[in-house]
Amino acid sequence: MIGQWCIQVLAVVRLEMRKTFFARRGLWIYILAFAPVLLYVCHAVYAPRERRRLAREAEAHPVSRQALDSIQKGLTRDQVVEKLGKPYREHTWEQRREHGKKRTHTMYKYTDGQCDMTFHFEDDKLRWTQRHDLDTLAKSQLIFATSFQFYFLRLAVFFGCVGIFINLFRGELLDKSLHFYLLTPMRREVLLAGKYLAGLLATVVIFSSSTTLQWLAMLWQFEWDSISSFLGASGWAQLRGYVGVTALACVGYGSVFLAVGLLFRNPVIPTAAVLLWESINPFLPPLLKKISMIFYLQSLCPVAAPPDAKLPPLIHLLISPTQPATQARAILCIALLTLIVLVVAGFLARKLEINYSTD
Amino acid sequence: MSHGSITLNNVSRFYGEVLGVNRVSLSLPPGITSLVGPNGAGKTTLMNLMTGLIRPTRGRIEVLGVSPNQPHKLFGWVGYATQFDAFPKGLTGFQFIYSFLRLSGAARAECRRRTEQAIEQVGLSDAGPRKVAAYSKGMRQRIRLAQALAHDPRVLVLDEPLNGLDPLIRAQTIALFRRYADQGRHVIVSSHVLHEVDMISDQVVLMSGGYVIAEGQIQDVRSEIQERPMQILIRCNQPHVLASKAFEQDHVVEAQVLTDGSGLLIKTRDADRFYRGLNHLALDGIDIQGVAPADDNVNSVYEYLIGGEEVSS
Repeated sequence: MIGQWCIQVLAVVRLEMRKTFFARRGLWIYILAFAPVLLYVCHAVYAPRERRRLAREAEAHPVSRQALDSIQKGLTRDQVVEKLGKPYREHTWEQRREHGKKRTHTMYKYTDGQCDMTFHFEDDKLRWTQRHDLDTLAKSQLIFATSFQFYFLRLAVFFGCVGIFINLFRGELLDKSLHFYLLTPMRREVLLAGKYLAGLLATVVIFSSSTTLQWLAMLWQFEWDSISSFLGASGWAQLRGYVGVTALACVGYGSVFLAVGLLFRNPVIPTAAVLLWESINPFLPPLLKKISMIFYLQSLCPVAAPPDAKLPPLIHLLISPTQPATQARAILCIALLTLIVLVVAGFLARKLEINYSTD
Repeated sequence: MSHGSITLNNVSRFYGEVLGVNRVSLSLPPGITSLVGPNGAGKTTLMNLMTGLIRPTRGRIEVLGVSPNQPHKLFGWVGYATQFDAFPKGLTGFQFIYSFLRLSGAARAECRRRTEQAIEQVGLSDAGPRKVAAYSKGMRQRIRLAQALAHDPRVLVLDEPLNGLDPLIRAQTIALFRRYADQGRHVIVSSHVLHEVDMISDQVVLMSGGYVIAEGQIQDVRSEIQERPMQILIRCNQPHVLASKAFEQDHVVEAQVLTDGSGLLIKTRDADRFYRGLNHLALDGIDIQGVAPADDNVNSVYEYLIGGEEVSS
């Protein structure tokens, strides 16, 4: 009997693959998944050029980091030039004000080859400075962790799962072709399992590939020596961790949206509700936090995303600090949540009726 | 419940407050059974109930002893060609049938053989490798039929299967149904083309407004309608003489000589007695060339039972 079910599940997966991977209406999912790869690639192309440019400027206008750090607000241009020498670039413009008065703005740029400093003068006084450090591997890892947790998991994987899993049943109801499945000698639960696996295969392949490519593109800008020592230390484990989290996100969100597709005629409202629930997770009390996917997924991420320094203090106060779940506990909880949702979805599939006129 | 028939026991189905079918009790034997009725009569609802695509609000259904709630058992030997003119995207006719056959768990070679056989049965061998999306309406109808019969079912449920077919294919399809019925299988067909229903059906189920108003062999149904005299068309050489002699019988209520003088139309309350009496009239020298019931067809019966309602078209 189990052998027969496996054959049937595989037959459903085969039939669904074409729709999940190559559907024209699923093109946006690829864009959503691979847009970050493009950004990382662009950055990987730009960053070495910037590094070379700063090295050239530093050679032509040498200045030490110590000297750069000694510059304080309120200094005049002459005082700054006296300390640092001539900037490698300067730019002056005038701002017209009331009663014919003018304000002169001047911008001086210096570099020590590692960071690019901009000093902004208003009427000859230094008002503010801006410092842009060149990327390091450690900094890039933090950027990757932030974009992975706040963009990729919460938006790309989330909406990708919406697009693929909701359509497994709801899409076929709209196309009026679901009855062909229901008229085969197959348990509805087996059909559900087949469709879920097909969706899972598609999302895991698409989003894990994207995760891998993003991560590789993130490393691309660095010298091979530093890449090689990073990979030798914790690099590969980190990549495995990110791919694993991506796959688990597909497992968890996939089950939720499969059930949503079975339960609701219009999936927009339940999808928005799930998105809201996942988004307010940091502000929820610890107990409620644990009834979400994102809490466990973030617990599993190999690098913790740094807190946003620009966040208003009031918002900081609202965030409830909770210890992340251990790896085993997080995986178990995601598996348990998925199982519960799939059992409910199986029950819904059993009760499913074909009534296209109302769908 | 019989294991050799399809039984519906006091089955009702409501869509909210809208009635689909109400208190339907039927026992359908093997052979071709036609469901006849106007739009909204409940024919498709009844077929969807039999195949588990919808569930009854009340009552019990068994198809050869199996509940439609058990698709894994039922669809091993039930095929259903619905009226929905939609297909999974991007598949050829062959892929469409083959892929869904594979869902039954049968081996590849077996599925391939059955797919080819089914496509051949509906005369689509040449079109098999083409995308279903490029098929004409009639071809789509036939590929749906092929899909329903690809696994060689004992029960074939077909919703308006002759729609969109040209006369030649229509005749071939009817012959296919007849072959299935002659093998002792159930063929349940809904149709609004009443003369075809007459031609192909072993029994009919007449429906209106969600109710079954009559069922059985059409002649039996007709003879049950006592308030309407039976009409018998007689072709003979002396229609006037035959008319006067017919009137001598108390059960004959009307005799109408045909305008071309080639015969007459008799209306009688007792067709059996009339047929027996006709033998004596023939012995009196009237050359009777043909006798045929004129209103024991579905159209007449339906009109007598339903009155003003129009059968769906």
